[in-house]
Formats: sequence, structure tokens, C-alpha cells
Amino acid sequence: MKYLIPFTIAAFGAWRLYAHHAFGAEFDPNLPVLLKGPVVRIEWINPHTWIHVEVAKKDGGKEVWMVEGGTPNSLLRRGLKRDSLKIGQVVVVDGYQSKDRTTRANGRDVTLPDGQKFFLGSSGTGAPYDAAGKDQRK
Amino acid sequence: MLTLLTLLLAAAPPAATTGPRTADGHPDLSGMYDIATLTPLNRPGNVGDRMSLTEAEAKALAQATAALLAKNNAASDPNRKAPPSGGDGSAGPAGNVGGYNTLWVDTGTGAFKIDGQYRTSIVIEPANGRIPALTPEARAKGMALAKYNRPNRGDAFWITENLNPGPYDDPELRPTAERCLLAFGSSAGPPALPVMYNNLKQIVQTKDHVMILNEMVHDIRIVRLNSKHEPPEIRRWLGDSIGRWEGDTLVVDTTNFNDQPGLGNADRNLHVIERFTRIDDKTLRYKFTVEDPTVWTKPWTGEMVWPATDARIFEYACHEGNYSFAGILRGARILEADAIAKKKP
Repeated sequence: MKYLIPFTIAAFGAWRLYAHHAFGAEFDPNLPVLLKGPVVRIEWINPHTWIHVEVAKKDGGKEVWMVEGGTPNSLLRRGLKRDSLKIGQVVVVDGYQSKDRTTRANGRDVTLPDGQKFFLGSSGTGAPYDAAGKDQRK
Repeated sequence: MLTLLTLLLAAAPPAATTGPRTADGHPDLSGMYDIATLTPLNRPGNVGDRMSLTEAEAKALAQATAALLAKNNAASDPNRKAPPSGGDGSAGPAGNVGGYNTLWVDTGTGAFKIDGQYRTSIVIEPANGRIPALTPEARAKGMALAKYNRPNRGDAFWITENLNPGPYDDPELRPTAERCLLAFGSSAGPPALPVMYNNLKQIVQTKDHVMILNEMVHDIRIVRLNSKHEPPEIRRWLGDSIGRWEGDTLVVDTTNFNDQPGLGNADRNLHVIERFTRIDDKTLRYKFTVEDPTVWTKPWTGEMVWPATDARIFEYACHEGNYSFAGILRGARILEADAIAKKKP
């Protein structure tokens, strides 16, 4: 039997969706990026986390990109450990470069090389994402 | 004797609440609370004027939300390309570049339940569950700002359209949350409203003061009990809060806001009355009335629960890690230079 689903998180008004600052002010929709490389530094800081990723350049050199995530507090509360994401772990990031043209991007989607998300809570914490079941990672 | 009894009965507060009490006999509201909920502030259009959901609807909502989160947290295409140039079509203030993975978001797992009902909105008065209309004055103010509100095209539209001042001309023109001054979405309040993440509150209570610590931006409200408001020239970001006990209910009255309270649209005339009452050992009822005669055509009232949690509040050193703000201003200077170069004949 199907019931009316009166509203979902997708139906929230804009008042709920303000992130700490508008990413629209910070990132340029004309500069899409796909970054792949090892994590070289992680800053678990507020208001937003920054994951530093080393990326190969076309000319054979390397450069480090800073990828902006959300606040670390929710993840810490779900049982995230300091080494849940390891230095050297290769990640794939898609997002948009910052308007100031530095090597920074929003972490629109940050995954492991096989496409799996990371940081999902360990089971039994009662955290909302425990329901994700087989997608969980330690 | 009879007269004394009558007097005592007349003065008797409503039925005493259960739960811990302080040495001076008042309910002890101290503790940690997590106010994340899927119930929105305003009642969504598709539930009409209904104040509550049926059990089945509440269950369907929770299930649909869990399914949406699971879908968003499922694996992505490992061979995906960069998102489309010109933007990914996402709406809202994130504006066309998206945000970050859903796993950072924490908006609760269901609608909140109060008096046995799953509520469709936090607003309960007006009876339609929606914040009343703005005054003509507030509407005009909003219209004046609307010219800055547009899709993110990665351009300095304020240069090409000769808007003065431009929205990035001065750091102080940027939103207070972007500047780490106040939590966004009235997370700290008053009134305290649920937002996208960091919905934890901590209450610390003494005989003379009640402190409410908000996880977001580490905003701290200090309520002076049985006190008087500061003179009107003393203005604060979170207003000036005084409190008193009405029976087992803590009543907090807040005025003396500056020109930019956390609550959207509100101005310095904002006046908020909050009522905290223990429902049971694990839950507070949080009811508030908002009035601001220069902004809303009538007062409005909201109500929700504050469920206790075992979770802890983590540090929120917003300024310390706010790399974004400098980047936003620096980005605006670059886009301006591009626009000026294009303008030249």
C-alpha cells in the first residue's frame, strides 16, 4: 500500500539549505573539475573540512588541490576515526574550481576509485546512515 | 483557612512536570539536546491546513528519507567525468555548483512528534502553519535586495549592470554566517530552528542564569533570570535575554537585537518569547512567539520538541578554518577585473 509522502528532505525550503556560506559565492560553474589522486593532508576543521589531494598535471608535474567538504562534527559524532580516510588513499573528486582560480574545489562528490563513498558510520551507532548497510565502510 | 486554600489553589501552577529538579525546586533542564527534524518551519503546500501526519504518513516519510539517503550514499560511477560546464543545475543558495556529499548533512530521520501527533510544521499560529505576510515596509526592503539575488554564472554582474555597491565590495556586506558571526538559518535563534547540520544544544542552568550553547558557530546565549532588559541602546547579535519561571515552565524574553538578527527578515524590533517545559525525562517542549511589527503583519508562534541526546558537542572554531571567506572576496576581485577588461572598447 502506498501512502502519501507529505514532504521529504528534498522538499525543504531554502531556509534549511543554507550551508555555512553560499558555495555559489565561492565556486565558478564555468570551471568544472575532475580530480584523482592520493590524499596528502586532511584538515578536520570548521566551518568546513578541507581534503588536500595531489593531482598529476598534463605537463607531467604535480599540484595539490584543496577540496571543500562539510562540517566534520556530524561525521565525528557518527564514529568517524582520525584514520578513516588515510593519507595516501586515492580519491576521485568532482566539483567546480574556486572563482579565485586557486587550486581549490568543492567536493561535490568525493569517492574512492571504485566509486564507493567513504566516512559512512559504523553499524549500531544509531546514526542515520547506518541504514546504508552494504555501502558502509570502516 | 478556606480563603488561604483558595488563594493557594488559584496561584497553583499547571500540573507539575516530572524529571530532575534543581536544589531550589525548579525543573532542571540541563543537558544535551539534538533538535534535528524533518518537520519544516512552514507547512508544505501539499498537506493543506493539516497540523499533523497520520502514523502511516510519518512512517512513509521516514522510509522515503532513509531511501533517499541510502541512494545518495550509494557508489558513484567510478569513471564519471567532471560536472557540466555552466553549472550542475542545482538550485538554492548553493547555486549551480552543488555542495558536498549527503553524508555531511544531518537533518534528522523523521517528523517530530508532540502531544501524540507527528507535526507538519513548526509554525502553529497562524493556524495554517505558515509565517504571516511581511509588512509593505519589509517587502520593499526585500525587493531592494532582490537585484543581488540571481543564479551563479561565475561573472561580476554588478560591474556589467553598474550596481553600486556591489555585493562583494565590503566584507561587512556578506552574510553573517559567511563571516562566522552567527549561525545560519536562525540555528542559535532566538527562536532556535533546526538547520542542515550541527543541531545540538546544551543547556546549563544555575539559580540565576540559564546558558544555551549552540553547536553551530559556538553561539552562546546567556539568559539572566528575574532581571530587567538592558537599556534600548545596548544591542546584541543574539539579543538581550531575560528569563523567569512560570510554574514549571522557563519563559525567556528576548529584545535589543541589532539590525541583523539570525532569524530571516527580522530587524532590530524583533521580540521573541520562548517557553521551555519538560514533557518527560528525555524531552522538552520548545514553544516560541515571534513579533516584529515592522516585519510581519502579525505575531506568529512555533512549537517543537528538544529531544535529549547522549551525543557531545564538538568544538566549532569557525574563524580559524574559514578559508572560504578570503577566497570569496579574492574571487570577486578577479571576476571584476575580467568584467572591466571586457567593458573597455
